[in-house]
Amino acid sequence: MAKWGMVIDLEKCTGCQACTAACAMENSRLPGENWQDVIFFTEGEYPSVQVKWFPRPCMHCEKPSCMYACPTGATYKTSDGVVLVDWDKCIGCKYCMIACPYGARFYTDEKPLAAPDMRKVFRSKDDHSWSPPWRMPDNREDWRRGVGVQPRGVVSKCTFCYHRVSKAPKGTPDLDPSDPAQREFAPACVVACPPNARYFGDLANPNSEVSKMIANKNGVRLLDQLGNKPQVYYLTGSGGAVPTSRSTAKS
Amino acid sequence: MNYLAEPRSFAEVAQYLLNLWRREGTLQFLRLSLMLGREKSIAGEMWKYGVVIGVLSFAFVLIMLFTEGGAAFNTSSDGINWGLAVSVYIFLALISSGLTFIASLSMVFGFRDFYPIAKRCVWLAIITLGAAFTALALELGHPFRMLWAMPAGMQYLSPMFWMGIFYLIDLVLLLIKFDRLWHDDWESPLSQSLSIASFVAVVAASGMLGLVFGSMFMRPVWYGTFTAVYFVLTAALSGAAAIVLATYVAYGFKQDRMPEQLRNMASGHALPGVFATLIGIALFSVLVRMWTGLWSHLDGLESFHALVRSPAFHFEVWAGLALPFVLMLSPKLQRQAPWQTTAAILVLLGMFVDRYTFLVTGQALPMFKGAWASGLAEYVPSFTEWMLAVLGFAIVLACYGLGERLFHLAADPRHRVRTSAEPKAAPRGESTAVHELGS
Repeated sequence: MAKWGMVIDLEKCTGCQACTAACAMENSRLPGENWQDVIFFTEGEYPSVQVKWFPRPCMHCEKPSCMYACPTGATYKTSDGVVLVDWDKCIGCKYCMIACPYGARFYTDEKPLAAPDMRKVFRSKDDHSWSPPWRMPDNREDWRRGVGVQPRGVVSKCTFCYHRVSKAPKGTPDLDPSDPAQREFAPACVVACPPNARYFGDLANPNSEVSKMIANKNGVRLLDQLGNKPQVYYLTGSGGAVPTSRSTAKS
Repeated sequence: MNYLAEPRSFAEVAQYLLNLWRREGTLQFLRLSLMLGREKSIAGEMWKYGVVIGVLSFAFVLIMLFTEGGAAFNTSSDGINWGLAVSVYIFLALISSGLTFIASLSMVFGFRDFYPIAKRCVWLAIITLGAAFTALALELGHPFRMLWAMPAGMQYLSPMFWMGIFYLIDLVLLLIKFDRLWHDDWESPLSQSLSIASFVAVVAASGMLGLVFGSMFMRPVWYGTFTAVYFVLTAALSGAAAIVLATYVAYGFKQDRMPEQLRNMASGHALPGVFATLIGIALFSVLVRMWTGLWSHLDGLESFHALVRSPAFHFEVWAGLALPFVLMLSPKLQRQAPWQTTAAILVLLGMFVDRYTFLVTGQALPMFKGAWASGLAEYVPSFTEWMLAVLGFAIVLACYGLGERLFHLAADPRHRVRTSAEPKAAPRGESTAVHELGS
């Protein structure tokens, strides 16, 4: 069985946020509810200050603390290594948000993160929290996997575009968007990345490109000391850096 | 039957209310029900104000939740996820646990001096836990789904799952225990077993509530075994303060209105001794926690620096703990009703602040929210959240008045006279109580 994972080359990442926009369009995210965020922060002090950026999807951890915290089993890990939320089981207690070290989860029922409140502009007439004019086809929506426009009172997060990834032929080592045969299975953020800084593949397959890159280019994980073992790796090379702390010195 | 005094079963209460309604008519029945009798009494006033405030605040919260949903709260995915509603839940749940601890002093550990407050403690523990659950339920996205999803999920690794299990067991045991006390069964093997089981359950429940936070290794402000111990210790203090205040409220803040054994306890050395000890332990716990938080450079502990600069923290330490500690240590003041009451109020205010600052400080550090949230997260509860807090306290107030009226909360196994000796819920200005609803 595959263990899907992502590699992000920070030397290539330009901080353009195309990944954020692609994710928002693919998954009908509310403004500000960035399942795939790019974090901008500063290091150093004037006159030696540097602006840096850092793309942050859900890490789909091997040992997801959000899953262990969930009191109902709504958050679970699939056999192919993706952490999902069953919106039919989620009680909206937000304990998973407390337990996520990466701030990758969002609660639906709260003040809008960015104005105007799109839930009021595009009001829903059914169980969905809102009715965006751009949304995936209904037959792709899957609330038991946290895919689509979420209902009210639940927590949502990045699914690694599970509605695409899970359709990939079994045994595929990498989902390379430059290969027309695989493009439709790759996560939207990987497909949209202009400098091709994102790679998606099977971490359990030593012959996959992602496994080779992690081994050969010294892939590192965010807050690895916590032991969650993210399945998102970063290649820092000589120009990139993974923030070592969540300290307040962010711009 | 002309009046209702210390009914022996809920069927008796229902029958009485039915007869009263038939006899008095609907309007008069409602008036009497709201007053808990024809004459003013402290219990009646508590019930009346509790019901009115509770209904109004509940209606407001419901309207806001139906119209605005969770947006009526100031909590945010990019900042404070758990806000005032959760801190009210912690505050009330730990008061409930503390009251059970205090009841256990006499019923489990044999400190017979504390018998006169045991039954009152058990009743208050039930209603504060009920109010805590209400506050939490109104904060959840899907409270009714919780009823089947938690048992069906069996997430035995989740601290919140076990917290729910232990508090449910605690509530059931408290209800059975109160039923036994209601029927004057203090010392049967069943009653004693219930007391011990209830004590064990409440240690587990309050400790587990601490572990809901203490297990969060990604939140260093909360993380660690000490959090569970801290919750248990400060729960005991909250319970002690609550029972002191509640007892004085029931007797119009006068020791001379109390039954003899309760008066002896209130004016003796044991109560202030226990109270001062618990305050001292809590003060020590707060200060050592602050020391490690300020001293360490560990990533995530920055919010301790913000906490130590906040007026709320200094109110808690100086007014909520240090001052009551001095009052309860002072040989001249510790046995006087006004100072005991003052200490209890200050401690409860201090503990309320403690739960709030504990909760908010632990979440103040942004978790990789980047440009969306720089610096420590800021949070001010919304009016709806304050109304939810008011609802929780109104439930306690109303149910306490009702319990004071219906049940003999000053009961003591050493003094089994049920109806003659003491003026429970004494009417204002009169020492001769009028207990009847419809007489």
